Amino acid sequence: MSNEARRRWGRILLILGRLVLAAIFLFAAGAKMKPQAGMPWTAGSVKTSLSMFAMGVDSYQMLPPWAVSPFARLLPPFELLLGLWLLTGVALRISGLLSTVLICAFIIAMYSAYHRGLTISCGCFGPGAQIGPTDLIRDGLLFLPLALAVTIGAFLIRRKRGAPSLPESAPSVTHAD
Amino acid sequence: MEVFSDYECPSCRNLFEQTLRPMIADYVAAGKVYLVHRDFPLPMHKYGYEAARWLNAAARAGQFQNVEAALYDNQNAWAADGNIEKYVAGAMSSAEFKRVQIQMQGCAYPDAAVKPAAFALGGQTGQSCSLDTYIDQDRALGNKIPVQATPTYVITYKGTRLPAGSGLVSWPILKQFFDSLLSQ
Repeated sequence: MSNEARRRWGRILLILGRLVLAAIFLFAAGAKMKPQAGMPWTAGSVKTSLSMFAMGVDSYQMLPPWAVSPFARLLPPFELLLGLWLLTGVALRISGLLSTVLICAFIIAMYSAYHRGLTISCGCFGPGAQIGPTDLIRDGLLFLPLALAVTIGAFLIRRKRGAPSLPESAPSVTHAD
Repeated sequence: MEVFSDYECPSCRNLFEQTLRPMIADYVAAGKVYLVHRDFPLPMHKYGYEAARWLNAAARAGQFQNVEAALYDNQNAWAADGNIEKYVAGAMSSAEFKRVQIQMQGCAYPDAAVKPAAFALGGQTGQSCSLDTYIDQDRALGNKIPVQATPTYVITYKGTRLPAGSGLVSWPILKQFFDSLLSQ
């Protein structure tokens, strides 16, 4: 495979990777913010869903009580913005880095809860099953490598674009007449 | 709000002490929230099922709240020696306790750690107790949700059952959730 073809495939994979990562964050944000069954899409019902998410955050027993609600209100909109940002592909190095850091934080929180024997729901994609090895494997072996690959890919492409290129026929030594 | 719990489970005690107690005094007393206790004794707890029987007997004698508080307050003590009766008796007058004992006829085992038929292994059947019907109904309901651990709580709002939550949730956070529901 020529360098050009390799570069083209790299770009395609990077686009696919960031789209999948964007979809994960958008889905996660939507699952946390969407109104509960039977409730219409209103500011009040979204607030209720965020309050329910706050109960999930609280059950991790990691944040001080005063921080639970602000965190639960900020995280889903942040995930939504991050998902949209990844979709645009603008400043991918920064959005990729933020995604990686966020996923690392999720893994640490989940591992901590699992290690402490807390029988709580992950809350990652709205209310669901208890935290277990499946969640840790999903985040640790799928989401984190994906976020890392997107971030590294974005840095590599940026470096290649920034690197100076010399014409192939350019003489390496010039003679002054 | 339905709470599925096991009286011998430490997380259930924490939920009761830190969340349900203030909630009962505040929102349940004010009629804002209707709290339903559901029995979900876990096989891993030696005296959980027996405690559920005492609670059901106490409920039939109109003493549920006192006994629930007494059993959670003294969980470590009776979970160690199985003497549940002592704390049930201490939570009420002797006349009331006699009524509870009548409800418990045929239910109290000399060895409280004996499990009923539902928990018996290899097809062994235990002694039947009329109170087991109530406990087993709650457990069947819990299995449908499904309850995977205790405590698990399910909130029903305007006829819609919201997704179940589990573990400890502090009263201020739960209160915030109720407030947002009640303001809809």
